[in-house]
Amino acid sequence: MQQNKTILALFADNADAEAMSSCFFHVPEVISVIADRFLKVTLGEIASARIDPGLAVISSALYPGKRPQLVEELRGYFPGLEILVLAPASMPPHSLERFMLDQVRHLIIENRQEKAATGDGDQPLSVAIGNLILKRQWHLGQYVKGGTEIQEFQLSFSEEKEQIIKALEDSIVGDSMEYEMLRQKGALLADEMLENAFYGAPKSDDGMKIFRKGERRQILPDEGIVFRFAFDGETLAMEIKDGWGSLGADMVLEYLAKNSADMGAADDAGGRGLFIIWRFLDHFHVCVNPGKETLIGGHLKKSSQIPPETIHGFHITTTG
Amino acid sequence: MDASFKIVPHPKVLCNYFSLAGNIDAQAETQLMALPAKVNQQLVKFDFGNAGRINSMGIALLLRCFKRIKEEKRAEIQVLQVNATNTMLFKMTGIFLLAAAAKD
Repeated sequence: MQQNKTILALFADNADAEAMSSCFFHVPEVISVIADRFLKVTLGEIASARIDPGLAVISSALYPGKRPQLVEELRGYFPGLEILVLAPASMPPHSLERFMLDQVRHLIIENRQEKAATGDGDQPLSVAIGNLILKRQWHLGQYVKGGTEIQEFQLSFSEEKEQIIKALEDSIVGDSMEYEMLRQKGALLADEMLENAFYGAPKSDDGMKIFRKGERRQILPDEGIVFRFAFDGETLAMEIKDGWGSLGADMVLEYLAKNSADMGAADDAGGRGLFIIWRFLDHFHVCVNPGKETLIGGHLKKSSQIPPETIHGFHITTTG
Repeated sequence: MDASFKIVPHPKVLCNYFSLAGNIDAQAETQLMALPAKVNQQLVKFDFGNAGRINSMGIALLLRCFKRIKEEKRAEIQVLQVNATNTMLFKMTGIFLLAAAAKD
């Protein structure tokens, strides 16, 4: 079977398909399927036609609530299928437990009111489809307007954290409460990303952390910790790269799922920092090349309407 | 705002009152771990009006401190003047399961 760039889009019913139709307007080669009682027949026919979709976009009206076994069923027909769940901001998933069990590593929370207001062409789904089908990595330039200056910092000492955070705060110019909130959130996100790179990422061969949180340290030559951010007046995008590659894709999903379910655990094995990064960003991406590099990033809009208490979108990918 | 962390006790009738100032992170460990021993009332108030950024390590330390106060001192905890960002943080990390948000 030849794998092609066909995308399978699965909906709960006709109303669900209609509600999601605008998301797929610019997406070519989409096979839309209503997951009714004939689903297995439909999937069998698609497989028999020697179509091997690269990606399935599943409506959250269908999975995980209505058909929790759906991902398992799909992978029975198409073993190499990448899965992306699409949910409206008005009704995000309640938990990531099923995502964790099925290793579903892509979730987009679609803010349709914002999309209608801005009419932006590069919506998260378009970017995600392009990246997944073409095996491209997420990078912060995809989140901000073209021509926006990207500030980059190569870290040498842990004490550089505060000056970087100040540079980020200074770049968000504005007096309104929205700007102040964005500065506060941006500062916290930068703090968590840098702390994770300094103290969470460095691990010895037996998986133990090398450095204690808060200790002053010099960055080792091979660590290659680089922090970048850009602000285009509406969207703040940030990312950090380290040369450890110690964050597993399954571990990320587990951290997000467990912290969502179990608040108040006093021990912080790094999971809470990642959880906070995820919940404060509108959208979050992690790319790991095991043993070599980890990239954590995402974006946050000044006018963000996605409350931190709810589940946010994410993309977790591995390379190498 | 001075970013270095400090706890300032204020004498009050019928409650322990502590102002937390500066960023709350790993540097706050010694002071926060010593704080439960200073509690001698049934009501403890924490004023976050001068608190700066609270990162995940700061949250972990606050959770441990609050849990010890509740378990060892059987005291009620209230938090005051928590800004909007820290309020979101407290909601998502379980701080509000241990402490109630209160007005002055």
